[in-house]
Amino acid sequence: MFCSDSILSRRQLLRVGAVSTTLSVSGWMGELARATASGTGSKPKRSCILLWMNGGPATIDLWDLKPGHENGGPFKEISTSAPGLKIGEHLPKIAKFGDRLAVLRGMSTREGDHIRGTYLMRTGLVPSAAGIQYPSVGALVSKEIGDPLAELPNFVSIAPQRFFGVEAYGPGFLGPQHAPLVVGDNQFGRNNGGNLDSLLKVEDLDRPKVIDEATAAARLDMLRVAQEEFSANRPGAVSKSHAAAYDRAIRLMQSAGGKVFDLTEEKPAVRDTYGRNLFGQGCLLARRLVERGVAFIEVTLGNWDTHQNNFDQLKTLCGSLDSAWGALMADLKERGLLDTTTIVWMGEFGRTPKINPQKGRDHWATSWSTVIAGGGVKGGQAVGKTSKDGTVVEDRPVSSADFLATVCKVVGIDPEKQNMSNVGRPIPIADRGAAPVTEVVA
Amino acid sequence: MSIRFGVSAILAVVLSPCAAQTVEPDPADIIAALIDRHLAADWQARGVKPAAPADDAEFLRRVYLDLVGRAPKVSETRSFLDDPNPAKRASLVDKLLTLPSHANHFASVTRNAWMPQTATNPQLAGFGFQFESWLRIRYRENTPADVVAQKVLGVPLQFAVVGNNQQFAQPLGNDPDGFGLAAFYQANESRPENVGAAVSRVFLGVKLECAQCHDHPFAPYTRGQFWEFAAFFADLSRLPNTRPSDTSTKGPQADKNRLTIPNTDKMVVAKFFDGTDPVWSDARTPRQELAGWLTRRENPYFAKNQVNRLWAHFFGVGIVDPVDEPGDNNPPSHPGLLDDLGAVFAANKFDNRLLIRAITRTQAYQLTSKLTHPTQADPKRFARMNLKGLTPAQLFDSLVVATGYREQSSRRGVQFAQFPQLGNPRSQFLNRFASTEKTTETNTTILQALMLMNGDFINTQTGFDRSEVLGAVVDVPGWDTRQRIEALFLTAFARHPTAEEAERFASYVDRGGAIGDKNKALGDIFWVLLNSPEFLFNH
Repeated sequence: MFCSDSILSRRQLLRVGAVSTTLSVSGWMGELARATASGTGSKPKRSCILLWMNGGPATIDLWDLKPGHENGGPFKEISTSAPGLKIGEHLPKIAKFGDRLAVLRGMSTREGDHIRGTYLMRTGLVPSAAGIQYPSVGALVSKEIGDPLAELPNFVSIAPQRFFGVEAYGPGFLGPQHAPLVVGDNQFGRNNGGNLDSLLKVEDLDRPKVIDEATAAARLDMLRVAQEEFSANRPGAVSKSHAAAYDRAIRLMQSAGGKVFDLTEEKPAVRDTYGRNLFGQGCLLARRLVERGVAFIEVTLGNWDTHQNNFDQLKTLCGSLDSAWGALMADLKERGLLDTTTIVWMGEFGRTPKINPQKGRDHWATSWSTVIAGGGVKGGQAVGKTSKDGTVVEDRPVSSADFLATVCKVVGIDPEKQNMSNVGRPIPIADRGAAPVTEVVA
Repeated sequence: MSIRFGVSAILAVVLSPCAAQTVEPDPADIIAALIDRHLAADWQARGVKPAAPADDAEFLRRVYLDLVGRAPKVSETRSFLDDPNPAKRASLVDKLLTLPSHANHFASVTRNAWMPQTATNPQLAGFGFQFESWLRIRYRENTPADVVAQKVLGVPLQFAVVGNNQQFAQPLGNDPDGFGLAAFYQANESRPENVGAAVSRVFLGVKLECAQCHDHPFAPYTRGQFWEFAAFFADLSRLPNTRPSDTSTKGPQADKNRLTIPNTDKMVVAKFFDGTDPVWSDARTPRQELAGWLTRRENPYFAKNQVNRLWAHFFGVGIVDPVDEPGDNNPPSHPGLLDDLGAVFAANKFDNRLLIRAITRTQAYQLTSKLTHPTQADPKRFARMNLKGLTPAQLFDSLVVATGYREQSSRRGVQFAQFPQLGNPRSQFLNRFASTEKTTETNTTILQALMLMNGDFINTQTGFDRSEVLGAVVDVPGWDTRQRIEALFLTAFARHPTAEEAERFASYVDRGGAIGDKNKALGDIFWVLLNSPEFLFNH
């Protein structure tokens, strides 16, 4: 099953090797660079950014307000740039892009538990009793729209908080070549402090300071020979994967691609616009990655589990969300990338319309909202409708599988395409019977 | 083609310890010969030319990794390679089987295979620890596989209700095994359908859970069969097991042997997988009934599945592979061998160690991993040793041995690392290298490669001023460069360098590497070895 996306084919590697053992590592890298230039020239046509709201956001206060009803709470509606589309008052910057947003107000999913809900929304399926490892949406999408020969990984996960089950974040049966490159892993409570610049860098990307360039080159030269000698008569997935991973890692270290993670290249004013917090800088990094053709990027904003003081907490959370997402939309638009970049906003579920005695909202999967924006999306509309009290979907219910199928359609993927699973059975990207919300597909 | 090799004759020998006064043949040799004959016949029929035998060094590293979960230390390598005893391979296996690290490694491997969810779901991780601790004692004592199954299935439990639809299994009474065993149920959320699916997969080798919702598309399992199997665990169900309108005669265990299929009003009574019915009695619970049926010698599933799992551990690929997906589209590669091994295993009281001793003595296990003929390419023919990835623990334990890293004992206990702990390299490696793949399909990731090339741990261990082993290799007085290179090969690869390797690396060191420093150049060599596939994989 190896490995359509090894950057260098076996043949190329052998050709490099055959040149001579005295070939310097710079020569090897030269070959790598040429492979990059020739084989991978075109950017993927599409990118997708998932803004993942960990903990379950109170969508009734953001996207589907209930003014005048006791479930509505204190927040007001504001108009957006799209006539007729109104959203919560704490998202004024996003409201300016109302014409690019499609709000799905009929989300009705089944799982109100963090772990199961996370798994469901991120894979489109409930966990298999003991067997099938379903891939996360990032792996599914990046496999389809990513460039296997790209210099950067096709799937980058920024600041994930994977305590609600790591399997919902992984490549599942698609295998580790579709695993995300993770930066800023599990940085709880450091949203506004800490060293954001180093948090968002790839771990171990830089060679140790005690190792000079000549030594590094000599080491890699010797390693390549050892690799070749061992693998020459032990062909197969395991040894090929070793060579491919080292090739990609070395390329990331040595190429300009690795610099994409260096946010200090951005002007301070730009960084301020996104917000000097992990999510804000993560969205800035996402924009930089899209500019370099990365297919799928997810950025996590946590702390949405607002069982108490929902409204106070939401003001803070919306501040981070609005600045970062608003800046992202503006930057993408300015660079002409908004038409090819789809932005998906969701959490694992919504929250109860009824406000609890602690002024909080609890878990609620029966009627809630998600948003799709940007490339491939027919914006300026809300699809689906909930009842006056927000507890029932009255029009256009959308399941998790329907939603995944919709994302596929919007980014230009066939949701019925099948991948071979770890149990030797083909599994479609979106579950059988999933119906995309065609109204939002441009 | 059907191959039979007179298993009954072998059974007779194995089963009659007092048959003769002459020197008893070791049953492991008899079973190994049986395996050899099956594989040789298959090779001959297919025109497969098996690879050359593995040399002592290749066998040594392989058997250490497979049995005790780490590569050998230099001292262990030297003494084995220098040992002139022709029976040293079998003796080594017998010795390794007695080490605590063998029980630890097998308990860990088994727990991962039986309860994969405990490696990825933090809420269930603790149950994985509990059960693994219990398994460790089983492997230390070489508890027969049928007894293990009987204990897992038979453990008396009581249930506490938590939440509105969940319950929690707890051990009943003072059974010392109860705590560990209950974890098996807890890790499966104490639900009949989850535990039933796990038991079917782990002990029958049949993945039934697809049939939970619909008839299995590619195998002859129906939804009804799934729930009939799950009904053996009906004592886990909170829902009433009988309808008020049900006026049929209630036999023994009637409150514990039936389930309603969810979202239907169809009630099913527990039934064995072969279609027969238990003779219900007040003396045995439904779970005990199932254990009794499962571990009967003539049960067609249990012994073969256990044998197949052990086979897959050593060869990377099972005779049926995946090991829990039997069916028309996944036939065994060597059906006769699997039948015979199952029968022999059952006849020998499900003795794991005997089977391990037999498998490690076979010609196939002792073949090199080097491909010397195109007919060896198919991993299911076992005509050369398959290249296998290491588990994260195998990798880190091998790094510890190779580098002389002094690990705090408290950290050695870390076996599950959902999140890497600062300053704890074991947890960082376990986290970065966590995998649920088949060992023969191990993929290296970019982050793994970066960690091995640039990470703190390897950087420290390949710096002569900070690394135990490298520091010693650099410091030994009176050695020439080649001897130092040789020491690095022994510690990293458990073999001597070839003449060509010795020459190449010595000349690099003697010219001072890239920057005119011989000591640092030795560090470069060590770095290269630790980053090589020969170190990172089991070959």
